[in-house]
Amino acid sequence: MSVTDALAIMPILIAAGAALLVLLAGPFLQARSISWIAVVAAAAAGVWAVVYPAVGATVTLPGLAFTGLSQFLIPVFSAAATLTLLLSHDYNQRRGIKGEEFQATVLFTLFALCVLACATNLLILFLAIESVSFAFYILVSLDLEREESGEAGLKYLLMGAVAAAIVAFGISLIFAGTGTLALTGAFAPEATRPIVSAGWGLVVIGIAFKLSLVPAHLWTPDVYQGAPAPVAAFLSTGSKVAAAAFFLLLLAFSRPLAEIHLPLYLLSLGSMVIGNLAALLQKNIKRMLAYSSIAHMGYLALALLTGSREGYSAVLLYGAIYTAMNLAAFGAIASLSGAEERGELTAYTGLGHTAPFRGAILALAMLALAGIPPTAGFLGKFYIFYAAIRGGETTLAIIGIVTAAISAYFYLKVVVQLYMREPEGAAPAAPHQGTPAESLALTCAAVAILFIGIYPSPILRVLDAALR
Amino acid sequence: MPTDFPILTLLVFLPLAGVLALFAVRKSDELVRMGALVVTLAELALSVWACGAAGAGAGAAGAPAGFFLYQDAQWIERFGIRYTLGMDGISLVMVLLTSFITVIAVGVSWRGIKERVPLYYALLLAMESGIQGVFLGLDLFLFYLFWEAMLIPMFFLIGIWGHGRRVYSAVKFFLYTFFGSLLMLVAIISLYLRHGAQTGTYTFSLFELIHTTVPYGTAIWLFAAFLFAFAIKFPLFPLHTWLPDAHTDAPTAGSVILASLLLKTGAYGLIRFGFPLFPEAARACAPLIYTVSVIGIVWGAWIAFAQRDMKRLVAYSSVSHMGFVALGIAAWSPVALSGAVIQMVNHGVTTGALFALVGMLDERTHSREIATYGGIWGKVPALSFFFLLFCMASAGVPGLNNFVGEFIVLMGTFKVAPGAAAGAFVGVVLTLIYTVRLVQEVLFGKEKKPLELADLSVREGGVLAVLGVAAIYLGVHPAPVLDIIKVPIALLTGVK
Repeated sequence: MSVTDALAIMPILIAAGAALLVLLAGPFLQARSISWIAVVAAAAAGVWAVVYPAVGATVTLPGLAFTGLSQFLIPVFSAAATLTLLLSHDYNQRRGIKGEEFQATVLFTLFALCVLACATNLLILFLAIESVSFAFYILVSLDLEREESGEAGLKYLLMGAVAAAIVAFGISLIFAGTGTLALTGAFAPEATRPIVSAGWGLVVIGIAFKLSLVPAHLWTPDVYQGAPAPVAAFLSTGSKVAAAAFFLLLLAFSRPLAEIHLPLYLLSLGSMVIGNLAALLQKNIKRMLAYSSIAHMGYLALALLTGSREGYSAVLLYGAIYTAMNLAAFGAIASLSGAEERGELTAYTGLGHTAPFRGAILALAMLALAGIPPTAGFLGKFYIFYAAIRGGETTLAIIGIVTAAISAYFYLKVVVQLYMREPEGAAPAAPHQGTPAESLALTCAAVAILFIGIYPSPILRVLDAALR
Repeated sequence: MPTDFPILTLLVFLPLAGVLALFAVRKSDELVRMGALVVTLAELALSVWACGAAGAGAGAAGAPAGFFLYQDAQWIERFGIRYTLGMDGISLVMVLLTSFITVIAVGVSWRGIKERVPLYYALLLAMESGIQGVFLGLDLFLFYLFWEAMLIPMFFLIGIWGHGRRVYSAVKFFLYTFFGSLLMLVAIISLYLRHGAQTGTYTFSLFELIHTTVPYGTAIWLFAAFLFAFAIKFPLFPLHTWLPDAHTDAPTAGSVILASLLLKTGAYGLIRFGFPLFPEAARACAPLIYTVSVIGIVWGAWIAFAQRDMKRLVAYSSVSHMGFVALGIAAWSPVALSGAVIQMVNHGVTTGALFALVGMLDERTHSREIATYGGIWGKVPALSFFFLLFCMASAGVPGLNNFVGEFIVLMGTFKVAPGAAAGAFVGVVLTLIYTVRLVQEVLFGKEKKPLELADLSVREGGVLAVLGVAAIYLGVHPAPVLDIIKVPIALLTGVK
């Protein structure tokens, strides 16, 4: 491995190195120092990716390269990991989650995510996405004191293992049909098309699990509810963007096939409709956000199925925006939770007034998720529906927009709890003081939501470079 | 004033910048109130200053015909979205109305709002920014952004400081308007794509999109989406059901802003975007708009007659009065359209004043029931005088403002659609009946309960006097306003 190679994959090395350092040095350091080391490393990986000049330079490494897509994805992943780490330090202390393995696992996840973003080979790609899942199995069940965390981890593991097997089989079929593992646009010959399309069919099923598209969504609410809030933040952003990126990278491998249009259409339709309708009925905020996540992935699928450059571009932008919105939402939940998590919606009554900063962030996240300008959520939805209409999916786009209008109701319900309801009976427990790390993380997420919403040109430029 | 001075940007964002100033003094409620008043007065001064540019008469550089102030900059290149603000006569009138009514809104909230004062005034100012943006944005994306963004402050104003079923009303208001807007977004995007496919330039600029060739069958659908969004805001029958709830449960200033300004954004949208973008489809839909506006005029008046709650009564009278605006727009002749714009201003002044009055009575007795009052003329002469004045204005008594608007609208409409004008006239008669009943029961008649009533304070008197002067001025001398809007209306209707 030459120096050029090392520089190109520096984010991967930083994440892996920091993860090992945290594990090895962990027992000898204070919890706070470990957290800060992890935060700095995770942020450094992203900053490196942003400033690295030699995008697309040839490297001698097998199966890895730093492409325009890497330059877009790695900062997103790194931001998700950094904010998760910032949010979880105090959260974990309040909840009695001990040990440096938490930080190390988050960094390992970041490592796998960065590998995924740099993958140029089918096997590396598969290994990366499964390593991401593997790390998340651990993170979800890391709250050893609580049964629901373990239960969530087990559910996620079982579902994930099935999905992994399906994806693996799909990939092997695609390999059998095309005869290469390189993601360089080796298109399948006509003779083997049935094999390749069978492979794609399986990949779509596997992706449906990972993105939790209806009808493969049933695990999501339980896992989100059971997982610690910062982990749910990371899970709902990192793993989703990873799955979408996985799909996009595979598309570079073989042309979008007409056969996957119908399944994707149905998955998108089902997710948008059922996700949003089910979210209406939820009384627990994390379950509500889980169904909201299902619905949002339905929007992603809508853009994916257009099979157009604009569609893919919309998917990536939405992925980034969704990351900011969900980190803000789950981050505020994490910060407002004490030793017990604030799950029920009624536990948020009046918090907009008693905890103005975090209440405002949570409200902002809700308005963004509902797609109200000038937040980035509006721009993301605008791009998705624009790409869909441009790609000829007008009917599904209109259905999507109608469901988006319905979704405003349950997002507003949270805002109503925060600002407009009087507590019935005993007022909810006053939240503890927000810590500087939490405030920093929430501020970053909020700034991202507003900045991308008002001035998206810079991120759109990176995005255009990513898909070149 | 240097020619490149960004006065329009300042008009839109000054109130929002004022929010930061309020944040700095948030510890003292009194300072917050003063700050809000200063900011809204500065905004009013700025709007009046903009009149000077209108008087100069010259078109701004690079601006479309009729626009004397114009600003255009690259914003989101990727989609051809530009930051385009422009002011013609119609925008100017609306901007003036907005600045004026927001000062009034600050005035009527002075004593009524005692809780969470900084947040309240911050939302009020944010609201003003959003509304000014709607009246000035000429890029459809920018317009849409302001159009939706202004919902948020109003949602909070109703939900936090409202009365009764405030949360229900706030959510209902939000969802109704949000739903309508999203369908308009689809229409905007498809118009944008069609224009891009035809010309190769992808743009949201209104004056480019106007030249898009849209087949009639498609245009009808696109216009329907625009009409739906604007008709909800208007509100046109049968999409008006959010309005009585929202108005009734909103705090006084919220009702004032809703009635005087938010409803106008719907009418303005139809004038600026709906009709010019799809002229044929709009003409084809005109009979439909006539029908629903006449139903709205008559039905609103009829229902207002049955109300026991004064705020609800004024709310339904809004449905009725806004019907005239819709009627004038649908007729789309220079006379009718001028009438519609004048009526927008008049309704803003009169209904705003009536909501303020009901709010003042409510602050004194905590009751908005007509049955509570009776014979208050002798007790609170100043308040009663203004009550009578604005009720007469609302009833369309000649010499006061509403008469001018209704008369011009009916005159213009009669030439194009005599049947609709005749139907609307029935509404005028009904309006007279319910306002006379209101005046008779509240001001005169017997005292039903002994009430402890104080007459107007200086602040309240000032607010009402300013509105009263506006009502009388517009009633006897509407020519300046008609002059300002003459050029843009001639350009819009294509009649010189």
